[in-house]
Amino acid sequence: MKSSTFIMAVITILIISIGILSIYSSTYQRDDQLWQLTYKRQIIWAILGLAIFLMMSNFNYRRLWDSTYVLYILVIFLLFLVFILGITRLGAQRWLKIIWFNFQPSEIAKLTMVIFLARYFSSKSIDDVSLLASRRGILRVLVLPFLFVAMPVGLIIKQPDLGSGSMIIFIFLAILYLSGVRTRYIIIFLLIGIVSLPLFWQILRDYQKDRLLVFLNPNMDPLGAGYTIIQSKIAIGSGGFFGKGWLRGSQSQLHFLPESHTDFIFATFAEQWGLLGSIVLLCLYYILIRQGIQIALRTHDAFGRLLAFGISLMLGIQVFINIAMNLGLAPVVGLPLPLLSYGGSSVVVTFIALGILANIDKRRAVF
Amino acid sequence: MRIKVLQFLLAIGFLFLALGLLNVQLIQGNKFKDLSNKNCIRLIPQMGTRGRILDCQGSIIVGNYLSYDVMILPQEVDHLDKVLISVSGILGVSPKDLKDSYKSGFIAPFAPVTIAQNIDMHKAIALEELKLDLPGLIIQPCPQRSYPYGRLACHILGYLNEIDRWRLTKLADYGYKIKDIVGFGGIEEKYDYFLHQKEGGLSVEVDHTGRLVRVLGFKPPQNGKDIQLTLDLKIQKIIEDHLIDRKGSIIVMHPYTGEIIAMASQPNFNPALFIKKSGPSISSLFNNPEAPLINRSISGLYPAGSVFKLVVATGALETGKINSAKTFFCPGSIHIGNQEFSCWGTHNQQNLREAITHSCNIFFYRTGLLLGAQLIHDYALKLGFSKATSVDLPYEAGGFVPYPLWKKIYRFKNWFDGDTANLAIGQGDLLVTPLQITRMMAVFANKGILVAPYIVKAIDGRDISHDQKKNMRLSIKEDTIDYIRQALRNVVADSGGTAGVLSSLSIPIAGKTGTAQVSRGQSHAWFAGFFPFSNPRFVICVFLEHGGPGQASCVLTKQIIETMIQEGLI
Repeated sequence: MKSSTFIMAVITILIISIGILSIYSSTYQRDDQLWQLTYKRQIIWAILGLAIFLMMSNFNYRRLWDSTYVLYILVIFLLFLVFILGITRLGAQRWLKIIWFNFQPSEIAKLTMVIFLARYFSSKSIDDVSLLASRRGILRVLVLPFLFVAMPVGLIIKQPDLGSGSMIIFIFLAILYLSGVRTRYIIIFLLIGIVSLPLFWQILRDYQKDRLLVFLNPNMDPLGAGYTIIQSKIAIGSGGFFGKGWLRGSQSQLHFLPESHTDFIFATFAEQWGLLGSIVLLCLYYILIRQGIQIALRTHDAFGRLLAFGISLMLGIQVFINIAMNLGLAPVVGLPLPLLSYGGSSVVVTFIALGILANIDKRRAVF
Repeated sequence: MRIKVLQFLLAIGFLFLALGLLNVQLIQGNKFKDLSNKNCIRLIPQMGTRGRILDCQGSIIVGNYLSYDVMILPQEVDHLDKVLISVSGILGVSPKDLKDSYKSGFIAPFAPVTIAQNIDMHKAIALEELKLDLPGLIIQPCPQRSYPYGRLACHILGYLNEIDRWRLTKLADYGYKIKDIVGFGGIEEKYDYFLHQKEGGLSVEVDHTGRLVRVLGFKPPQNGKDIQLTLDLKIQKIIEDHLIDRKGSIIVMHPYTGEIIAMASQPNFNPALFIKKSGPSISSLFNNPEAPLINRSISGLYPAGSVFKLVVATGALETGKINSAKTFFCPGSIHIGNQEFSCWGTHNQQNLREAITHSCNIFFYRTGLLLGAQLIHDYALKLGFSKATSVDLPYEAGGFVPYPLWKKIYRFKNWFDGDTANLAIGQGDLLVTPLQITRMMAVFANKGILVAPYIVKAIDGRDISHDQKKNMRLSIKEDTIDYIRQALRNVVADSGGTAGVLSSLSIPIAGKTGTAQVSRGQSHAWFAGFFPFSNPRFVICVFLEHGGPGQASCVLTKQIIETMIQEGLI
């Protein structure tokens, strides 16, 4: 009965190991001691993550129901804190320094918003499996939750972190759809979104505009914003079918490729392992997400079901945007690839999310 | 139903990624493999030129010329020594030196290393011809600053150098990077944002021999914006010629608008030194105790001496502590407290106008004591002392006017009448900049307006003089101004006036001398004045650091104005 959890755990360990190998390969050419530490730190994060995974899988997810609003307020507080105390790195103020590591509250915000929305659209009673959304009017089903979502999204985009901000909007849309909100409302929401796009464009920083324009034509600014996309495509493309082999990726190791151990880790991986490796990695991610959806489908509790869907989709959207961005098929927005990219916040939050999934799978038998 | 749709979308999404991978890695794979193997994308940076600095007529004070850098692309070099020997033959530098700079500059095989900078065009052409035989050699043109007038106005202009850590942290948000060349001091620093150019470049695909296959993309470089100053080169040249071999500052300003027509400071420096990066001569500039890099006109702080008496005179007349008929007797020295305060002569009975004309200390000790230290301080602030004039040049000093409470708080001492007497003749803890004195003199020239001095007239052809700080009309009675104005004329025209030297000029001038005592060395010599008297067009301030009595500055002023008349500038 625990097969889903088991498969999930195996795949997760596989992906994070691949990630550590890739991080090692992208940094081992550097002389600096600090760089050599990167992969070791990731190993520590992975071990810590696994422990958290085991812990979360034994933590009754129904208790999240009660603490949703506390979590929400905590996240808003942290996001405000980033503004005041946050550290600026690569032009964005996204990190909070906690003792010896930097922590990125927008990662937690994503997961919290999934929990929040799952709770918002389900009833407390375990027996009442029907969802609330189809019975309620536009105000309670669209306007109110949107305001709740807009608050953290606004703060995140202001950091600026366009990737995480738009991720939450995507998750919001997906959960609206899944919770049975009338199609009409969703279309209205989308229309308003499209109409207000020009307005949104004004809020963006210059470099964000550049990146979006460069996505349309990477050769527009080959030395600046377009450089990363061009180098990333060369890295992936030069991998060919079998790849150049581990530690032989000239693009990523000779530092043509910026951010080769974080946002562009996929390009590093694809250069060394080729189409073969990339397809295998894609399949691993797909199976992982499918397991999440299977768990959701088997759960009868409305909250658990929405939560499982939300988490699976969160992973799915993030994987999709990141790889598409590496391939030059989506704008560069600064979103890590879950489990593969270097970064403690991302790794830990992903493990928490997977732990919740495992717990939902476990509780299913109770009902 | 909806779940099915989402599952379908998920599957489609992953299929999309798989197809994308298939496209990039298999279908276009060979192309990218080629690009990667040969590292075929070259980024050729192209520099724009930095904005020029022009004088009020539009003549170029700072321009640009093209110089060339020699660079080596490590990954394309077959025999490094062969390349270095050929290059050294042309440049006349030993191959060992070139090798050293190559080693210290090496970063990565694909990053070009600069081995020689600022070579002239002939050598560049000669090297260009060698390029075919020596793969990996790059000759990069790069625009450099040219200073057609050498040291002229160097303090106003500032110089260019590699960005330092302090400026980098300050400017990183504005897109400045490490190794950027930025302005230091003067207009180059203050207006760097407008002057500095934006790097552009080509990304090109080249084949294995380094020949261009095609251009992939182009971002045009952006030139900096030209900045026009209010400076008049001809007058600037005259005052600098006269200040040469001395120490001090001369400022010529327009009395009504606050436009700075000329501003000189000695000792000065040659801004071109920083281009050649000749190490020892630059470090000697920094270590020189005479501080040649400091613009004394705005950053130098000195006691004002007798010029400050005008503040006391204004305050006394305005508050009615004395009137124009009030006389004091000058016996040559008086006792204040238990200390003796002396005058530089004996002037007997005289009124305020005569006291200004003869620069009588006794009269001002007494007037100062009547007025009180706090009121002197207040009127000094009113006339623009103790705070920066906010001229558009960096590192302006604010100066300082002491007052009783300050002495109590910071020196833990009481304020005595002796302090007031000292302050009344511009000595003691008082510190002013030559520009502040110029501005105060302008108040008497233009009859009551405290101008906001400025030096940038236009940026990129757009007149910004309206955007500069506004001038302020002071609430001083017209009678007071007229009375002091006439006294200032008497300083020059009266037979016993302290600036009698200037009376022989064909243009009527008014002004005030000052001899500021210093604890060590000769006194500072001040002269501040305006001309022509009835309808002033220039305010001038001549300050000589340790230049002796105020007379010295008067003589210099006379020579400057004579030259200006000769050249038909007045």
